[in-house]
Amino acid sequence: MIAMLAISEGAKRSALAQIEAMGIDRIIVFSKRPSLTGKSESSNSASMIERYGLTQRDRSHIERMDNVDQVIGLFDVRKKILKGLTRTNLKLIGCDINFLNESPAFLEKGRWFTPADFKNNVPVCVIGKNVRREMFELGDTNVVGEMLRVDDKVYRIIGIINNPYESQYPEIGGQNDMILIPQTTGRAFYKDYAFYREGRSSKIIRVEFDLFLVKVNDTAYIDNTAKRLSGYLEKTHGEIADWGMVVPFELLKQQEQTQNIFTIVMGSIAGISLIVGGIGIMNIMLASVFERRKEIGTRRALGAQKSDILLQFLIETVFLTSLGGVIGIAVGVGIARTITYYSGMPTVYSWWSIGLSLVISSLVGVIFGTYPAYQAAQQNPITVLRSE
Amino acid sequence: MTTEAHGGDIVRLIDIRKTYITGDLRVPVLKGINATVSRGEFVGFIGTSGSGKSTLLNILGMLDVPTAGEYFLEDVEVGQLSDVEQATIRNRKIGFIFQSFNLFAYLSVEQNIEVPMLYARIPGRIRRKRALELARRVGLGHRLGHRPTQLSGGECQRIAIARALSNQPAFILADEPTGNLDEKTSNEIMELFHELNREQGVTIVMVTHNPALGPHYDKIIRLRDGRIDDTPFEWEVRGTPK
Ligand SMILES: Nc1ncnc2c1ncn2[C@@H]1O[C@H](COP(=O)(O)OP(=O)(O)O)[C@@H](O)[C@H]1O
Ligand SMILES: [Mg+2]
Repeated sequence: MIAMLAISEGAKRSALAQIEAMGIDRIIVFSKRPSLTGKSESSNSASMIERYGLTQRDRSHIERMDNVDQVIGLFDVRKKILKGLTRTNLKLIGCDINFLNESPAFLEKGRWFTPADFKNNVPVCVIGKNVRREMFELGDTNVVGEMLRVDDKVYRIIGIINNPYESQYPEIGGQNDMILIPQTTGRAFYKDYAFYREGRSSKIIRVEFDLFLVKVNDTAYIDNTAKRLSGYLEKTHGEIADWGMVVPFELLKQQEQTQNIFTIVMGSIAGISLIVGGIGIMNIMLASVFERRKEIGTRRALGAQKSDILLQFLIETVFLTSLGGVIGIAVGVGIARTITYYSGMPTVYSWWSIGLSLVISSLVGVIFGTYPAYQAAQQNPITVLRSE
Repeated sequence: MTTEAHGGDIVRLIDIRKTYITGDLRVPVLKGINATVSRGEFVGFIGTSGSGKSTLLNILGMLDVPTAGEYFLEDVEVGQLSDVEQATIRNRKIGFIFQSFNLFAYLSVEQNIEVPMLYARIPGRIRRKRALELARRVGLGHRLGHRPTQLSGGECQRIAIARALSNQPAFILADEPTGNLDEKTSNEIMELFHELNREQGVTIVMVTHNPALGPHYDKIIRLRDGRIDDTPFEWEVRGTPK
């Protein structure tokens, strides 16, 4: 039972930590490429430019909405990042200056962008910790200050960031895999265009923003804000489903709900096994009362009150079940540790759950020990003394 | 014997009757017993097997209730008492000794002697002191740490006697205490009872089917067919040859 609780707690904590890392006071809106099926324009040679997703107009509107504190925009330059000749899954992202503050990542080395970097379109970048691992040799410990070539541009690395939760944004992935450049630098170098080769035909994809982190003032009204936001986007983007929305706060609630169901199911299983075990204990104690009826008679003859006998058997049962509880806790903690050791899956066994188990196991003793103890106290001393 | 109150009487039985009813069958076991036990007496109930000795002893020990009749213990009519009061009196005033010793195998000799004191809520320090004294008195002061299973029958009965004495009871009730012992040990145990009776003034009520024990008692009450047998043998003085 302890093991079950530990696993479920562990799963819960890590899931919740992931979601919380995305920020519960924000709404994430992202661009997604609409499915091409049934779109005749795409085959049309005239529209070689495929345009979709969130725009600067959307951004301005959202920024003016009630309960919206600020919007942080990200866009993916959609450049293939190569290491030698092999393609990596790293992404070159233009970001706002507040991105680091509003994300779970922290600066591991070097510095973040300054307003001057933004103003002057400086070719500098801040890289996620996986970028260093993928783009540089193992021995290269200090890459801050080195140059990073992407396509025909060269950026000077000014800092390394680390997102310890490894949380992922929709469509554009995790921060640890990003090469971040100032929004302005990105726009100046690449506009909003990305050349995209699909088979033999190449096309231009135009996406102004890939992601908005919409930070709200008051989490209490985040549902409402999200509703208005999606209402606006539905209206302006019309039929084309070129955007998506995630509300971490909602996810958190859902996750908690599923966790609660999980815990209830586990609890029920544990409860049933407690009842089965309790009945077993009760039978054992009833047998013990029968076996020891001569002792009971003798004790009564020596002056034991019925209550003394009752208490004696009750204490024995509680001792038995508490001992079972202690063994159960030891086994449970053992299993939880073993699981963590071999699978790395986090398990959490709190003092709270251990204490509760102890209380429950003694309570089982009291509940299922009462009847046998009562039986023992009600034994007729003469008949039990005669039954030799 | 009259049934009037005596200052020295610990026990007075007035027309005690006991009838067992099993189904349609009524089995009268005791058919009107009148008897007294005085302080310091060593009384023996002698009767054949099935004559109702144990039944009478259980009534004396308040483990059983008579169908009719009155039982005064130190001038208190015990039939009127509640369960709790009866258990308390059993604990403080009566020392039980059984044919098969009835020691607790999972307790040490010392703990066995302490059991009645436990129910009297006597503090541990005093319990241990008294247990040692009593074990010495029955000649087993060196066996306190042993288990009953490590002792012989005679030694077990000595421990049971020490246990019966632990709350300094008004009297001791012994049901065939030598029934499971050989003749030599049996005599030793009877000698111990004598010592306790003579030197400490312990009142003893003993039940036996063995007429050979007759000479040991101050007073012999013969039970026959649920009644007291008033033959000339009723009064026998200890030491008189049979
Ligand atoms: N609970 C009972 N129900 C019916 N008969 C009983 C019961 N207890 C004892 N008897 C009967 O009472 C008689 C006296 O028993 P007991 O007092 O044990 O005799 P003793 O101890 O003298 O051998 C016996 O015939 C026995 O069968
Ligand atoms: Mg008998």
